[in-house]
Amino acid sequence: MFPLVSTTLFLPLLGALIILALRRSSASVVHGIGILTSALTLAGAVWMWLRGVEPGVFSQLEQIDWMPAIGASYRVGVDGISLPLVLLTALLFLLTFIFSANVRERPHAYGVLMLLLESAAIGTFTALDALLFYVFFEVSLVSMYFLIAGWGHEDRQRAALMFFLYTLLGSLPLLLAILGLYLGSDPHSFDMRAWIADPPLSGTAALLALLAMLFTFAVKTPVFPVHTWLPAAHVQAPAAGSVILAGVMLKFGTYGLIRFALQMTPEAFRQAGVAVLVFGVISALYGAFVALAQSDLKRLIAYTSVNHMGYIVVGVAIAALATDAEVRAVALDGSVLQMISHGLVTGALFFLVGMLQARAHTRDMARFGGLLKFVPVLGWCFVLAAFASLGLPGLAHFPAEFQIFLATLRIEPVALVVVLGIAVTAGLYLRAIAQVFLGEPRDEWLAMPDLNLREVLTLAPLLVLIVVLGVAPAWVLEVIHLTTTTLK
Amino acid sequence: MSLLAVVILAPLGATALIPLLRRAPGALALLAGTLSLVASLGLLQAAFTGVYATAVLPGLPNLPLRLVAEPLNALLSVTVATVALCVLIYAVGYMREDPQRPRFFATLSFFVAAMQTLVLAGDWVLLLTAWELIGLSSYLLIGFWYQRPGVPAAASRAFLYTRSADLGLYAAIFILIAATGSSEIAATLHTGGTAAGVASLLLLVAAMGKSAQTPLHDWLQRAMAGPTPVSALLHSATLVAAGAILLIRSAPLLPDQALLVIGLVGGITTVVTGLIAMGESDLKRLLAASTSSQYGLMLLAVGAGVPLVALLHLIAHAAIKSSLFLGAGVFQHSRDATSLHALRGAGRDRPRIFIGYALAALALAGMPPLSGFFSKDAIVAAALSSPHAWLFGSFALTGTLLTGAYMARTLRILWRGEARRQPLGGLAWMGAGLSALVGLAIILGLAFAPIEDLMGGVLPASTTALIAGLAAALAGLALGWWVGGSRLLGPVLGWAQQGFAIGGGMNAWVVRPVWRLAQLFDRLEQRLYGGVLAAGRLALALGRASRLSDERGIDASIHALVRGTVNLGARLRALQSGLIHRELALSALATGFILGALLLAGWLRLS
Repeated sequence: MFPLVSTTLFLPLLGALIILALRRSSASVVHGIGILTSALTLAGAVWMWLRGVEPGVFSQLEQIDWMPAIGASYRVGVDGISLPLVLLTALLFLLTFIFSANVRERPHAYGVLMLLLESAAIGTFTALDALLFYVFFEVSLVSMYFLIAGWGHEDRQRAALMFFLYTLLGSLPLLLAILGLYLGSDPHSFDMRAWIADPPLSGTAALLALLAMLFTFAVKTPVFPVHTWLPAAHVQAPAAGSVILAGVMLKFGTYGLIRFALQMTPEAFRQAGVAVLVFGVISALYGAFVALAQSDLKRLIAYTSVNHMGYIVVGVAIAALATDAEVRAVALDGSVLQMISHGLVTGALFFLVGMLQARAHTRDMARFGGLLKFVPVLGWCFVLAAFASLGLPGLAHFPAEFQIFLATLRIEPVALVVVLGIAVTAGLYLRAIAQVFLGEPRDEWLAMPDLNLREVLTLAPLLVLIVVLGVAPAWVLEVIHLTTTTLK
Repeated sequence: MSLLAVVILAPLGATALIPLLRRAPGALALLAGTLSLVASLGLLQAAFTGVYATAVLPGLPNLPLRLVAEPLNALLSVTVATVALCVLIYAVGYMREDPQRPRFFATLSFFVAAMQTLVLAGDWVLLLTAWELIGLSSYLLIGFWYQRPGVPAAASRAFLYTRSADLGLYAAIFILIAATGSSEIAATLHTGGTAAGVASLLLLVAAMGKSAQTPLHDWLQRAMAGPTPVSALLHSATLVAAGAILLIRSAPLLPDQALLVIGLVGGITTVVTGLIAMGESDLKRLLAASTSSQYGLMLLAVGAGVPLVALLHLIAHAAIKSSLFLGAGVFQHSRDATSLHALRGAGRDRPRIFIGYALAALALAGMPPLSGFFSKDAIVAAALSSPHAWLFGSFALTGTLLTGAYMARTLRILWRGEARRQPLGGLAWMGAGLSALVGLAIILGLAFAPIEDLMGGVLPASTTALIAGLAAALAGLALGWWVGGSRLLGPVLGWAQQGFAIGGGMNAWVVRPVWRLAQLFDRLEQRLYGGVLAAGRLALALGRASRLSDERGIDASIHALVRGTVNLGARLRALQSGLIHRELALSALATGFILGALLLAGWLRLS
């Protein structure tokens, strides 16, 4: 069978090599290569989606021996949890390339880094070998670091440093945990499927490994109180970088939480479930409240990510605590769907803020006002995305959050206090909309142009999917459900 | 199935088509409204013959979406469609000068589609969806003139009040689904036990938000910032009605203790907001307060254990209140103002409109043989026959008295004064919409008997209730006409004008604490950020020092992989030199190389 997963995974890397080879070419050629490569990658991801997954196992497996002496192989494949994430990743990267088609500042390096990042991201979601996973996980950090440091805004150096320190420190415990799991497995192997089928560690060892993994993924997700890199990185990152960071890279954290923590140390997670749940609840509420206090539009959206990702942590913790398979499936369905919804919605919001900033050169909400009159298309797109983000039914976040909350009530009713977050996010988005787009139009922004074709092409797929996923989530949930119902 | 689809999809189709065509938005909306009304009449007709249309749609796993047209749903659907169509007719005239008409009619149609979904929803998820979507559409409609000062705040306030209260609905639904394993409304209504009690109270919270019950009443008065047809629709058959509809539908679920609480909330609201209406100095705001007061009476009826009475009053009130608002809209256009002072004698400008308004006002006050008489009489009778007869009875009679008083007050103000007649555009459309609704407000009483048959309920009736109710209504009318608002309220006038806010109202009790909490968390956030940054600097300094001492050893022990070393070195150099440019290409190359090497290693192993 055609090695579809590997092809999809390495296509962007090939594109990066081509750009490196064509070092003298013009910016438009580079952007053309970027768009073409990511479009082909998306086609590959859609093909993977059409091939589908089998219930309870990893599908579309591709395996090549790598270092047989230590049991490390190149192993890739997907299940119902990773396949939607691969599709989301490929889509967001294509849109990012379309959006960035006007980058004139060192376009070659930009293209190479973005394509490298795309390969790393797809690799992270499809790797079934822990060592391979770790490599992809780290490579993505490096690319993102340089994207922020090289193409970011005014205070980019400090933000990039923060991002680097956090992620460096954050990923070390994961390596230790992987080594622990490796040593515990018999025969020694880095095969994640084996670790999932038969968790190698138990007792204190499992708990220690779990703690290490929780730390890494908490930094990545991010969870209060190790989230402070996120607003800094987001605010300073270029718009495209923010989209990828929020849309794809935060999902590494919650994906790891399910794939590693929940699946490889299930017993330990059950014991620590309440603690994780508490962190999730605090994170969700804290993120919402801090977002409410922001006056910088981009910062505000960054903090709502802490809020939304907090719901996912709650969902995963509930899944760990649940003894009833049905409730666990509901919690995980919601959590995985929430990852997709958050990618679409926050992706759209960061694109929109980027478009606004490119026009106004400010993100300060107080300086805007009545923009809906001058840029109605941009304004209505923002209103739609904002209402999606505040969890309005009929839009992408609702089915996900509904399932998470429903499962929460059944397992740990007290934790339902987290639902307060949806009232606070409503407040902060309405405030943002009122400040920026409603009210008396200011003459200062009289000449602001509305969205151009490139920007409409960037946004349209996201907004359409936000509505589609909100109205009919079944086509994604069916795939997710195949795996979540059979999870042990 | 097909009729159900038409009821909802016709207005939804108008919402989609209007922005695309941007032509004849009024005609499109009217066409869709008519189709929807015809289909809903079909549903009602089928319900009379005992055939209930249903539809099951795919939703979340194991929680399919359902639409049902049982008698209650069909009846409400017809109510919504009728009022909506009349308001649309009126709006064609009212909005004829507005350049944003396409947006108006598209949003209004969306509103109607969402409300139809709400009344026809057969499962909780769909009901919740529609419940929140009517919140969204009322936000968009109240904020229609978004450039005017105060409008964005009013729209945001309306959405936030209702959304916060909606948390009650969310929680209630989770409890009901958890208790029964089903999201079908009919299946959850016999839950019983603690779950039913808690869920009932949570449903009440949601209903209080939507139906603007004390203490959550003040958003509704501020929501007057939207165009008048919007107010007419919001206050009669749609947004505000949703709260009462929720409680009427879940009546079988409600245990006795919950009924008492519901009755108390309704009773207190009817008195408090009735007094607010007495002290109000703006016609539209007065009508808004009156809406809360009337919905208070409906909750009182639910609390008295006779939801059918609440339903009848809801239907009668839908026709009456939309008539009043539409009449008020004509006076507003006529005088370019809504304050009662500016509207002195506005009734004489348009005597025919005034007659319509007056008939609706008398119907609301409960004068026979207008529709409001029958429903109000039934409410008084229900209150007097409930286990808490004295309490509920006095609430109901006070509410009736106040209704008569504030309606008579507006009649007197509109009639006493100089006529200032000026030409008014679009009056034919407005008059048509208004007269249809006033006609309904007059004759709807005739429909109550068949509705009782359809719903299979019997109304409580007693001579005492009839006499007491009529006496209260007449006394109220007399007081309102001859004594007036401010003299009647006396010392509480000032307080009533502030909406009976206690210690600063919602702003002081909720908004400011939430805001302070947000500020507090933000300060904590800055500390945290500063701390991490300082730690980072320290770590970097330590790192540099240790790199000098033993670069390879330390790095190797931290990173088992070569890649880490390469990058760390590259990064530190980049930070020191500040020339990221060159390092970038280097690092990109390096990472690319590593990936390539990994791949190559794999292929070599294979071969």
